Order: sequence, then C-alpha cells, then structure tokens
Amino acid sequence: MKWSLPALAALLLFYPFILTGPFYWDIGVAFLLAAISASAWNIVGGYAGQVSVGHSMFFGVGAYTPLLFYHLWGLPPVAGVPAGMLVSLVLAVAIGMPTFRLQGHYFSMATIAVAELIRIFVGTWDLVGAAIGLQGPAVGRAWWDLTFRSELPYYYIFLAVLAVVLYTTFEVERSRFGYYLRAIKAGERAARSLGVPVRATKLKALMLSAVFTSVAGSLYSIKTGFIDPESGFGILVSVQMVIIAALGGAGTLFGPLIGALLLVPLQTATNTWFGGGGSGLTYILYGGIIVLLARFEPGGMHEWWQRVAPRLMRRSHAA
Amino acid sequence: MLLVQVIVGGLLLGAIYALFSSGLTLIWGMMNFINFAHGEFVMLGMYVALLVVVWLGGGPAAFGFAAAFALFVLGVIVYISLIRHVMRGPMLAQILSTFGLALLLRYTAFWIFSANFVSLPQVSLSGTVNVAGILMPVPQLVAGIAAIALTLALHLLLTRTTVGSQLLAVAEDRNAAMLMGIRPDRMQALAWGLAAGSAGIAGALMAMSYPWSPSVGETFGLTAFVVVTLGGFGSVPGAMYAGLIIGLIQALSAYWFGPIYKDIVVYALFAALLWLRPQGLMGKA
Amino acid sequence: MLLSAQNISKAFGSFLAVRGADLAVAEGEIIGLIGPNGAGKSTFFNCLAGDAVPTTGSVLFDGIDVTRASAEAHARAGIGRTFQVPATFEDMTVLENVMVGAFLRHHHRGTARETALRIVEMTGLARQSAQRARSLGTPGRKRLEIARVLATGPRLMLLDEALAGLTPTELQQAIALVRRIHELGITLVIVEHIMEVIMTLAQRVLVFNQGHVIAHGKPREIVANEAVIEAYLGRGHRRRREAP
Repeated sequence: MKWSLPALAALLLFYPFILTGPFYWDIGVAFLLAAISASAWNIVGGYAGQVSVGHSMFFGVGAYTPLLFYHLWGLPPVAGVPAGMLVSLVLAVAIGMPTFRLQGHYFSMATIAVAELIRIFVGTWDLVGAAIGLQGPAVGRAWWDLTFRSELPYYYIFLAVLAVVLYTTFEVERSRFGYYLRAIKAGERAARSLGVPVRATKLKALMLSAVFTSVAGSLYSIKTGFIDPESGFGILVSVQMVIIAALGGAGTLFGPLIGALLLVPLQTATNTWFGGGGSGLTYILYGGIIVLLARFEPGGMHEWWQRVAPRLMRRSHAA
Repeated sequence: MLLVQVIVGGLLLGAIYALFSSGLTLIWGMMNFINFAHGEFVMLGMYVALLVVVWLGGGPAAFGFAAAFALFVLGVIVYISLIRHVMRGPMLAQILSTFGLALLLRYTAFWIFSANFVSLPQVSLSGTVNVAGILMPVPQLVAGIAAIALTLALHLLLTRTTVGSQLLAVAEDRNAAMLMGIRPDRMQALAWGLAAGSAGIAGALMAMSYPWSPSVGETFGLTAFVVVTLGGFGSVPGAMYAGLIIGLIQALSAYWFGPIYKDIVVYALFAALLWLRPQGLMGKA
Repeated sequence: MLLSAQNISKAFGSFLAVRGADLAVAEGEIIGLIGPNGAGKSTFFNCLAGDAVPTTGSVLFDGIDVTRASAEAHARAGIGRTFQVPATFEDMTVLENVMVGAFLRHHHRGTARETALRIVEMTGLARQSAQRARSLGTPGRKRLEIARVLATGPRLMLLDEALAGLTPTELQQAIALVRRIHELGITLVIVEHIMEVIMTLAQRVLVFNQGHVIAHGKPREIVANEAVIEAYLGRGHRRRREAP
C-alpha cells in the first residue's frame, strides 16, 4: 500500500484539472470541507470514543467569528479565525471538564444541549445578526478578503488545511497521546490502571478537535460569505460530521475521507433527485445509514474492508 | 393572580414531562443506555392521537390508549431489532443507534406530515374551569392530572408488582437475575415497551393542549435529558419531581423573560447541573 | 513495609464486603490471597489497587497514603494490577497494548516501543505481537495483561486470578513467568483459587471468608488449619492429604 499515499495526494492535487468546471470544483470543495470537519470530529469521537453529537457548536463559533469581525469592525474575515479557535477552546473546556468525570452519556447529552442552547441564543442576539445571520464582503476589497469568484482558490486553501489536519492526526496516532486515546476508547478502567490520565487526555482531545472544527467553520463562512444560526449551529451540521467519520471508519486516519468520498456525491445526487423536498429525504437516508452502521458495522467501511479484503484475496489466489 | 396561573400551568406541563422522562430514566437505570430517540417517541404519540381523532373520531380515552399501545409496540420492536444488538458493543454504536433512529423517525415524520404545525381538533374536552380564582383550560388540567396518575402508576408497577421487581432485579444485577430464572432479555424488551408507551401517551396528553410539528421531538428529547439528569440516574420518583420543577422553571422563564427563553433557561440549567450536581436530586451517579 | 493496609472495611450500602482486614507486605515478598467466592478478596484487592475507596482503614504504599488515591495515581506510584476478567484493549495489537503500559515511564515512542518489545519477548508473546488482542484466547489475554502491567515498571503487582483456566502446561509456564517477574525484584500479591500456585509461589497466605481474614501464615500452616479447610478447601484437599 506504499504507493497509495502519493497517489492519493496527486489525485487530490490535480482533481480540479481532471474534472474541470464549477460543478465539479464545487463538489470538490464540499468534499474537502466535509473531510476536514469529519477528521476534526474524529479526533475526539473516533479515536477517544467520546461521541459528540453537538460538534456544530465549534463549527458555528468558527463560522460566525470571521463574519462578525467583518460586520462589526470591517476587518477581513480571516482575522476572525483565531478568535473563533480561542472561543471554541474555551467552550471545549467548559463542556469537557464537568462531563469527562462522569459516564460517557453525559458528555454526549451535554453536546447536544449546549449546541442547541447556543443556536437558539444566537438566533435572538441582534449583535450577531439574530435569525437573519451575517454576511461577508460581497466584493473583495483586497486579496485577503478571500472573496474569490472561482472555486479554485478555495479548493487549494481547503486542501492545505485538510493536509494539516490529517498530518496532525497522523502524528497524534503515533504518539503517547494517541495511544492513550485509543486505550481510553478500548477500556477506560484498564487504561486508568495503567496510569493513563483519563480525564486530562479526553479534554486535550476535545480541545484539539474543537480548534480544527472551528477552522472548518471559518472556511465555510469565508467561502459562502454567509452564516445563520441554522447553517452554523444546526443539528444537521453535527450529523454530517458524525456520519461521514463513522461511515468511513471512526478512529482511522482515512476514514473521514472515505466517508466524505461516499457521502458528498450521494448528497449532491439526492438533492438533485428529490428536488425541493429533497433535504428531508436525504436525512431519512442519513438516519437509516447511521442506524445500519451502528447495528451491523460500527467500524465503518474501513472495518468492513479489513474483514472482506482477505477473503477476496484468497478467492483471487485460489482462482 | 396571573403568576399563580403561570405556575399552575407550568406544573401541569411539568407533570407530562415527568411522565415521558420516567421511561427514559427507567431504561438508563436498567441498561445504562440513553435513548436519543425518546423525544421522537413523544412526537409520534402526538401524531397517533391526531390520526385516531381524524380517522376514527375517537375521544381522549381512545387516542390515549392508541398512542400508548402503538408506541409500546414500537418500543419493543426497536429493542428487539436494534438495541439488543448494540447494547454490548462499543459506545459509538450505542449512541449512534438511537441518534440515527431519532433522525429516521423525525425526518420520516417530516416527509409524511410536512413541517406544518398541527393541533388536535378538540371535541370532548374543552373550555376552562375556575378553581379558586385560577382559570384552567380543561384539556391541560385533565392532561396534567392524568400524567401524574400515570407516572405514579408506573412507579407502583415497578415497586409493588412482581413484574416490577423482576425489572428492577435485572437493573440491579443482570447475572443474579438470570440465576433467579428471570429472563433479562424479556424484561428489557418490556422496559422499552413501557418507556416508549409512556412517552406515547404523554405525547397524546400534550396534543390535547398544544400544537406541534415533527420538530418538537428534538426539544422534548432534550427536555427529557434535563429532567432525568436533575431527577437522578435511574430514579422514577426523581424524574417525577424533576419534571414538575422543570415545567415550573420553563413557565416562569417564559413569563419573566419571554417565550424564546424557556428552552434556553432549561438547557442552561442542564449545563449548570453537570458542573454542580450531576447526580441530580435522587440519583446514584 | 512496602504495602501496609490497616483495618480495611468496605461497605456497599448496608452490606459489609470487607471487615477490618489487615495486610503488610515487605518488599520482595509474594503474598497469596485465597478464600471462597464472595469472601471479599476481590473487593479488598480493589481497595489496594485504587479501584475502590475503603469505607474505613488506610493503605500506605512506601510510606505514602494512597487510601483515597485514584487508580491512575496508584499506577504512577508503582502499583500495578491485572483484572479477574481480562480487560485487554481488544482492537489494539499485543505490542500496542504493552506500549500503553510502557508509555507510563517512557514518554517517547521509540523507548516505549523498545521496552514493550523486551517485555513481549520475556512474557512469551513475541509470536503474536502484531495480532489484535481480540484474537488471543483467555490464557493469552491474561498473559498480555501481565505483560502490559509489567511495562509500567511497577514495584508491586496485584494479580487477580491471573493463572485461572490454564492447561497444566500453560500453568507451569505461567508459574515460571511469575517467578521471573519476582526475580526482577517486583513484590507480588496474588489472588488465586488454584492451590498449586499458592503452595509453590506464595511465601505467606491470607485466607478470607465472609469479609474477614480468618487465617494468616505460611502455606503449610494454612493448609493444616482446620478453620480454613472447612471454610474453603473442603473435602477435596483433605482427600489429597490423606492419600499416600
């Protein structure tokens, strides 16, 4: 499998020139964004096994701050990205500290509740646009406003961020921190007995995940030029992250990419087939996929392939 | 006087919260499993009530019973086909299973019933009564009292009957229960049926007074989380008190700060609970 | 005294699982804990390991009070334990499991890996080091747990029925392993049902019954003790004694 990584990198790098035009570039950007968000979620949800179903709170914070910086002070949206990361970090600590000393369910419940809390609250707060939301610069004043007409620059910016997230995950996987995360997921009690500082490790994972998710949100709002409570903090944002990571293989490096590869084209297709009322059917499909995954293959496509591939190899050798 | 009315209204709604939350806490205490689709069970109960009224012209007894029964069956089916298999697996699978189910139920309801808010055509129970100067809409009064009665009934079922003690035995120690000849699988299926059924009938009761759409499941689910956390892990009496308290807090928040804040305050309370007293009023944490 | 547990009691509601148990372990000793099921051995064990907080009494390790310390703190202090029902990290490989233990003292991946490889070799798991823990049978898992704990560099190891369910050959190998561990200078407290293990390994034995320590002494003394025989060993052992 040694050739696969450079091949993947090359494919991603040259994709816009293989499949050209706004339609394909749009899907490419959507794919990258989905992969980034899901990879960010994967750190705490996949590796550490702490299932957050309200990760949209970090995404939304990251999405709002750039447009807020523009709306309030006329600054280029990019300037708001670090602020988003900082707020997300604080939020992660606020949620993780009380819940990580309790059973896992409390954390999951807390993530939904806080995401909803923020969504409703932001919807009533005029300073951040209330229910209407915020807009970015319609026309770029300079290059650093990052308002490109074409999808292409966004594609490469997102690709760079994805590379950073994946590389970080890769380094984490090999490190003491990564081993501890996996140990916590595999058996907290045993991990404790080996000296793993469970609570602190979970918290670190959540903080790292929150920061990356925040960046994903920032990328989204900078590109789209618009954000509102639903697109920032809505439950569907959380669902998408979870399903993509889980479908591909939660707790694996490339799982989120595989999931994004499967789901983003699917979503584009169902939106076209089902038309206007389509989004409802898409989410019925998502719900169904998640249930089936949970019931039959919680390890996702990665796990499924690990089980099936040896059998296929054997058959091809026998033939 | 208006304040007293608000308080009573809050308590009556809180009684319904207590009813549907006791099912959630029963499952949690018994199987260490949180049902993320519990709010959807309530929501479906409301639609069952609607269908009974619209198609069969049934009254409160009919649609109440229908909601309870239909959801009981759904609860058992969900247990047998899904929960039983994920229970012993990884946490991710457990949480995703009911989370996915919630999405499935919610968006299927959106598809079938559309996102419009509906209400129950009120035939038999209507009007208001004047109790010591407080004006109470009859449906809310009846619903609240029924909810309290049903929650108490559930509590008595668990603590005073043989079946109840079998359920609690499984909750306490699965292996010991098996040695005593109790079948944990059956008891757990029954628990799911009871939990879903009580959620369903709670929905039917609520449908008598409040309009709804498929989106309410999400809110009810979160409310149930707050109630069971406040009441304490696994405690049905705790859920009863907590339900009333939450209903009261909600009503007062809406009254003092505005209707938008009723949910914000409840979720903020949840966050505060997690920091300060996660074991709630009566739980074992 | 390396480990000193005094007047340990543990209550679950109104049920007293352990009553006033004492244990003093000098560095380098091997202590056996025996007793019928439900006698309180595991609960006592959990109190020593930091998995349960005793209702009364204290546990001192190398002079430090660890009575209320967390399991993580116990491990860092140098107390390691295995679990009666093996709790290996199923989806991680044998080597990775041991590395988790090694990371306690070696923060760098390279040295942690070296330590883990050494221990995997020493515990006879080298052939399976790349296999997932889930593919091992129960004896393999028990051995893996021992290896994993060993990698944390403990001074005291608490083994909870680590030698149960083994074939005679496996049992001899396991006893040899425990001896090797002891030779490294590690103090051991072993909970066991298998008398052969206790007789061959333990220097001193504590007998639990109904939460109390009912006898305490050398293996030979315990075996001859009437109260112990009645409470636990039963007729089977009596028959063995009577056989020529």
